[in-house]
Formats: sequence, structure tokens, C-alpha cells
Amino acid sequence: MNKQRDKVTNLQLSFIVISTMIGVSLLSLTRFIVEYSGSGAPFATLVGIVIGLIGIVGLVLVGKRFPTKTIIGYNEIILGKSFGRMMSVFIILLFIILAGLETRQYAEAIKGSILSETPIQVAIIAMILLCMTTSYQSVATFAYIHFFYVPLILIPILLILVFAFRDAEMYHVTPFLGHEPSIKEFINGALVLPQALGNFLVIAMVIPFMKEPMKSMKGAVWGYLIAGLIIFIVVTMTVAVFGDKEIMQMFWPTLILGRMIQVPTEILSRIDAILLISWIYAVFTTLLSYYFIIVRGICELFRFHHYRLISVLAAPIVFIIAILPDDIFHMYDYILLVTKFALLPLLVYPFMLLVVAAIRRKKGHE
Amino acid sequence: MVLWKRKKKSDKEQIPSGQIIDNSQDKQLTHDLVHNIDTLTNVFQKDTDFSSRTFHIVGETPAAAFYISSLVDKEKINRDIIHPLQETNSRADRTTLLGKKNLLLSLLYDVLYYSDGEIVSGYDEILDAILHGKTVVLVDGYHDALILDTFTLEKRGITEPESERVVRGPREGFIEVLQTNISLLRYRLPVPEFRAESIEIGEKTKTKVAVCYLDNIADDDLVLEVKKRINDINVDRILDAGYIEQFIQDNPRSPFPQVQNTERPDRAVGNILEGRVVILVDGSPFALIVPAVFNQFYQTSEDYLSRFIMSSIIRFIRFVALLFSLTFSSLYITVLSFHPEMIPAQFMVAASSGRAGVPFPVVVEVLLMEIAMEILREATIRMPQQVGGALSIVGVLVIGQAAVSAGFVSPITVVIIALSTIGSFATPSYNAAIAFRMLKFPLIILSGIIGLLGLAIGLMFIVNHMLSLRSFGVPYFTPLSPWNKEGVKDSFIRAPLRWFKERPSELHPKDRIRVESSVKEGPTNPLANRKRGKS
Repeated sequence: MNKQRDKVTNLQLSFIVISTMIGVSLLSLTRFIVEYSGSGAPFATLVGIVIGLIGIVGLVLVGKRFPTKTIIGYNEIILGKSFGRMMSVFIILLFIILAGLETRQYAEAIKGSILSETPIQVAIIAMILLCMTTSYQSVATFAYIHFFYVPLILIPILLILVFAFRDAEMYHVTPFLGHEPSIKEFINGALVLPQALGNFLVIAMVIPFMKEPMKSMKGAVWGYLIAGLIIFIVVTMTVAVFGDKEIMQMFWPTLILGRMIQVPTEILSRIDAILLISWIYAVFTTLLSYYFIIVRGICELFRFHHYRLISVLAAPIVFIIAILPDDIFHMYDYILLVTKFALLPLLVYPFMLLVVAAIRRKKGHE
Repeated sequence: MVLWKRKKKSDKEQIPSGQIIDNSQDKQLTHDLVHNIDTLTNVFQKDTDFSSRTFHIVGETPAAAFYISSLVDKEKINRDIIHPLQETNSRADRTTLLGKKNLLLSLLYDVLYYSDGEIVSGYDEILDAILHGKTVVLVDGYHDALILDTFTLEKRGITEPESERVVRGPREGFIEVLQTNISLLRYRLPVPEFRAESIEIGEKTKTKVAVCYLDNIADDDLVLEVKKRINDINVDRILDAGYIEQFIQDNPRSPFPQVQNTERPDRAVGNILEGRVVILVDGSPFALIVPAVFNQFYQTSEDYLSRFIMSSIIRFIRFVALLFSLTFSSLYITVLSFHPEMIPAQFMVAASSGRAGVPFPVVVEVLLMEIAMEILREATIRMPQQVGGALSIVGVLVIGQAAVSAGFVSPITVVIIALSTIGSFATPSYNAAIAFRMLKFPLIILSGIIGLLGLAIGLMFIVNHMLSLRSFGVPYFTPLSPWNKEGVKDSFIRAPLRWFKERPSELHPKDRIRVESSVKEGPTNPLANRKRGKS
């Protein structure tokens, strides 16, 4: 009963965006931006956020044109049955690969920080099991889960940032554009951000389940901006504390930032383990979104509504992808490759859909 | 096990009505009284408490009364049934009475001053009535029967609820008798909108279940769904509200209670006023409250009686206690065996020097102690009250003191276990506390294997499960997720009463507004207008 009431609200949508965007990549993001843009990283982040904003606006626009359809649904309507389905398969495959690689990334971070002697598979299996048992739930439950974890994710992050102020040095972040900036490198650095955060695509699966899909723009954009702001502050603080040269020596600058914190009273001597827990929450919500796209996507594509079966079947595939890279370097190569050539174009994809839909005069049912 | 297939509910079997007497279908009441008496006595001939009494109405028409003596008030039968039937004061009365076309009707209308009476003709109905403590009067020449409610039951007095004690607040608790329980509710809710609908379930026990709600507040769909789920129950017995609870909950496989139970009428009324439905079961001193969300399980009725700051702090403490009972022992394992760097060095040294002689790893030590604690708890409940106190002293002394001095466990472990156990006793709701206490064990094992990650993953499993739970369509973590600003005022904090202007919106009450304004006018100072100097 009460099916009608289990609708996603705008507030929940923005929380979904926030917790999906803040995830695994938060630990390593700074490093990759700095790699390209040097001390210009904060500014590059800002540019990257704006680029990503265009992507999410496009996505919401398509969603509003087809308020009862997910991306799988309107792909078929706009692009025709065969080509649209091909695109859907492509999107699902992309997220299967991403889910695998990001699970690996999380497991590497866990291994590198708290579980150095445990086989990496344990962490991977634990996370995949967690996603598997949750991803077949209803869309409302999906929204509740995101909503619940966001404060648990944000509060520790903000805590780090407040404590990190003590060690921030202004000269680390100047000049704002980086030393000897070249347009190409700067843009490359800026593009890292939408590469890492393109996962907000999940809203395309949620919009049709909203109470008021036509008003989803507000929730999506606000969520995006808040998440963007947090990521911007994290990048800026990390660069300000360590400086671009030092960051290049670290894999997970944000984690090291957390390790530097000292709690005033002598209750806990180090709180990075606790921060890591809240980061695990962030990882879980992000991976859950991927899993959600995979399970819901496959089920809608094949009109086969056994969510449990699909989420059980998807688990081993994601696991195999997760253990595929030989080491952490390989893994990052793969991640950068996949996100650059698959996730980035997805930012433009909604606009392409909009144009085609306008030409073919396709509209969602009222 | 097939994970993805939900079991389909088997189609309800139609129970043929009147199964008890299926071999006596041909038995019908006739106009002949002697035959009727034989028929009825045959059914109960082996029962010692079945009584039949033949007499003459106003000295002429033969009649007979049947009842089960263990269920009826004999004095009532003598005084209010047999006495008025056997003698009428005046001769005139008598002739008019016997001259009446339908004697039974006029007996019911003119002679018997009895509040509950009816005329039935069905054989099944008559048997049913006898079995429910009613007295059946058969009159010669009529195949109908006069049924008079003479039911009485030994019942205990209203006492203070054992499981929900309060320092401040009413001392009344529900008892086993349904009628008394309904009266306790009605006494507090003297409004015509209060409904107590009766449903009979249990093929053999025929237990009366009352669905109580306020017509102008509770959501229609909710009430319908509650009645539907209760009607759907197909079982031979309902011996307590606990049976109903298990049949109507949304997710029977979850460790968490999705239906709240209470022994307190004030709490039940409070919930009815919020738009919830209360289910009373005959024979059970517990009322069920649906829908129930997680928040309710660490709240008490007393929270609303003391000042809001104190109540809020106390609720917060209870919440912390709940978290303690769930995570404290596994956190201890994690810190000691995986992340000693988390705590300051001095503390770590103290903790490990205490463990110097202990032969097990921390996880085994904690697990053993927790199991011992659970055994103690269970033993204390089952022991007779006089022995129970002694047992707990023995338990604490032996398990705690002696185990430490024997080098079996470290003193710090004992402290941790004690904290986690006491934490679970601070939870007002026994069934929620026990859920958390049992979930503690998987967490202990997980954190013993993979440390902090195991603890985090285990907690997420639990939280995700709780977030996916619904109780009659209401998400279990309301008002936290989904967020509900009004609801948070009465969750882990308890806002001032005058802030509660709306009923919880997740219950979709018909009348959302409790009151427009809690205090009509602000307080005035009665002494302010007095002139000084004059007295």
C-alpha cells in the first residue's frame, strides 16, 4: 500500500547527487588535477565544476522532456529502438566497468591505510556484497539511503577542512592560474573533475520516480553545486596545505590531510581511521548509485523485472573487473582512460539527445 | 535458497463454517422442547460444567435454560432470568403474556430486564452463544431460542505495567480482558469518533481482536490495511498479541520489530491521537501500535511529562546507550587488535598490560564474555523473582571478579561488556533492545576478522536494512530519512509541547493540525496589578 507516497522529493534528489558525486575519487582527485594544472588546481576545479554543471543541466532538460522515462527509456524513443538500445547497453557497460574500477580504487585505499595485510579481495567482496544486497530495493529506499548517509559523509569532511586551516599556506595556491600555464594542460586538469563526477548520470534513473519531475532542475543543480563547492574546498585546502610539489608524491592527499589532524583532547590520538569510515560511507553511496544504474538499467532494457537476480548476477562481473588491474598504477590508467573516453562524452550526450528529439519531434507522454 | 523470488502467498483455504458440528448438520431445533434438550445435552454430555435447568414460565409453559456454569454469573441467572420468568405478579399479566402471539418476543420485550438479549434460530449460533458464556432459554413450542449474555470472567485488577515502568505518569496498565482494555481507552478518549471495531480470528480460539482508532484522524487506507491484514490471518490460535504482531508485520524476516507493543493505556491513546491504529487482543495485556517507526522504540510515555530539555537529553542518552549496546564491544576489538594507533599510547599500554595473561585473542575473549552475559540475562528472566536477585549477584561476582583474577579475561574487557550490556537495558522497548543485542554478535565477528572495515560494513548492512524497512507503508527511519521537519521535533529530541502543532505527516492523518495554538494567551503576572503598600 501507499505506493503513491513512496516518491522521491527534490531534497532527496539533491542529496542523491551530493552523495553520488562525493565518493571514491575524493581521495585522489586533487592529485590528478594538480598533475595537470599545478598550483592552478583550485581554479581548474572551478572551471571543471562549470563544465560538469552544463552536463547535469542537459541531463535534467532531457529528463523533463520525458518525465516518465529513464535514460534507458528515452534513448529508445529518441534514437529509435536498435540504436537507442545500443546506447543504453553502452551506458550500462560503462557503469559496470566504472563500478569495478572504483571498487578496486577503494580497496587499494583501504589496503594502503588500514588493512595492509589482508588480501585486497576481502575489501572488494565486502563492498560488492553490500551493494548487491541493497541495489534491488525500491527507488524510494535508494533515496532514503543516500539521504541518511550524506550527513555522515559531510560532517567528517568539514571537520578535516576546519582543522586543516591551521596548516594552510597562502603561497601554495598562488599563482591562481599555475606556473607558466598552458591552455591545454589547464583544460586537461579542469576536465579531471567532470571525469570523476560524471556519475551524476544516476539522476536520469531517478527523475521518473520523483513526486514532481518537472521541478527536478532545482534539486539536481543545488545538489551539484553543494557537492562541487565541497570538492572545490577540499582541493583548495589540500593544495594550500601541501603545495603542488608535495601532492605529486601522494596517492591519497585527502587521507593524509585527515591524518594530520590532532584532536584537542586526548581521547583519540589519530582520527584518520574514523575519517576513513565516513569515506567508506561515501564510497558505498557512490557505488550503490553505479549498481543502481546497472541493475535498473539492465532490467528496463530487457524488460525483465527481477532486480534481485540481476544484482546477484552483476556482482561476479564487477568483482572480476575489480581484480583485473595488476596494481594501483594500472588501475588509475584504466580509470583515466575509461572516464576520459566514455564518461566525458556523456556530458554532451544529453544535448545531442535534446537536438535529435527536437528534430524528430519526440516528447514524453503527458 | 532462491534469493530473488518472493514466496507467493498460497491461496486462502476456505474454511467451511461450523466445522465443530459437521457431523450434526441434520440436528435442527424443533418445536418439541424435550427433543431440543436432548440435542443440546448430547453435545456437552461429557462436560462437567455444562448445566441445563428446566422450569415453567409463569407456572405453565415448559422451558429450559442452558449455560456453561464456569463461564456465567449464576447469581445473575437466578435473579434476572429464572426469577422473572417463573413468577409474574398479577394474574392479568399472566394471561396477556401467554395470550401473546409470540411468547419469546414478549418475554424479551416485556418481562426480562436484561441489557443484552436476542432471539436466534440457528443451531450453530446457539452452540456458539453457550460457548461464549451466554445463557440460552428454549421455550416449548418454539424453535427459536432466547439468548442472554451472562458471561463473567475471573480477572485480575488493573496494576502497574511491569515492562514499562515510569517514575512519573499514570500507573494503570492493560489487563487480559478486552472489554476492560477498551474501557481504559474510552475513558481517556470520550469522543464519538473513537472506534473499537471487533474482528474474530483463530479457527479454534476465536479470539476477539479490537481495532481502535479515531475516525476523524486515522487515515482510511491505513485502517483498511490493518483490518485486511488481520482478516487475512489464517491460524488455529491467537494466544497473545504477539501472534497478531508476527502475522501483520511487513517484513517477517527482519530482526527489528515493526509493530510496537505497549502495556500502557496512556501511550496507546497518545498514539491513537497521532493517527496510529491500536490493536487490542482479548487475553493479552499488550496493545499493538501500528505503524511503528524506529524512533518510537527508544521513547517512553514519560518523555512527554517532564520538561523538554531533560526529556531531550534523556532521549539522547538512550540513543547513545542503544549505539553502545550495538557497537561498543566490536569497537573495542577493532581498536585493540587492528588500530592501536587510534587511542593514546598510555591507554593502549594499560589495555594491553591488563590482557597480559589472557590466553585468547580479543575477539574470542569478547565473544565468550558476551555469550556468558546473554546466558546470565536469560537465566535472570526465567528464574523465580526471589532467586533472580541472588543469581545476578553470583553472576556478576563469578563471571566478573573471578574470571579476571583467574586470568581468563582482562579487566577492561569486563568493563566494556558491562557497558554494552547495560546500554541495551537502557532501551525502553524490550524487543528493539534484543534485536540490537543479537546484531552485536555478527558485528563482533566481522570486526574480529577485518577490523574497522568489518565494523563499518556491518553497520552499513544494518542501516541499509533498516532504511529499506516499512511499517504499514511508513519508512522505518522517518522522520530522519525521509526527512520531515515536523517529525524531528519528536524524535531523538523532544521539543516543547507547544511546538507540536501538527500530527506526524507520514501517517497521513485526516486532520493534520493538532491545535492552532497551544496556549491561548501567554502567562500573565497576577501580582503585577497590585499596588504596593496596600495589602
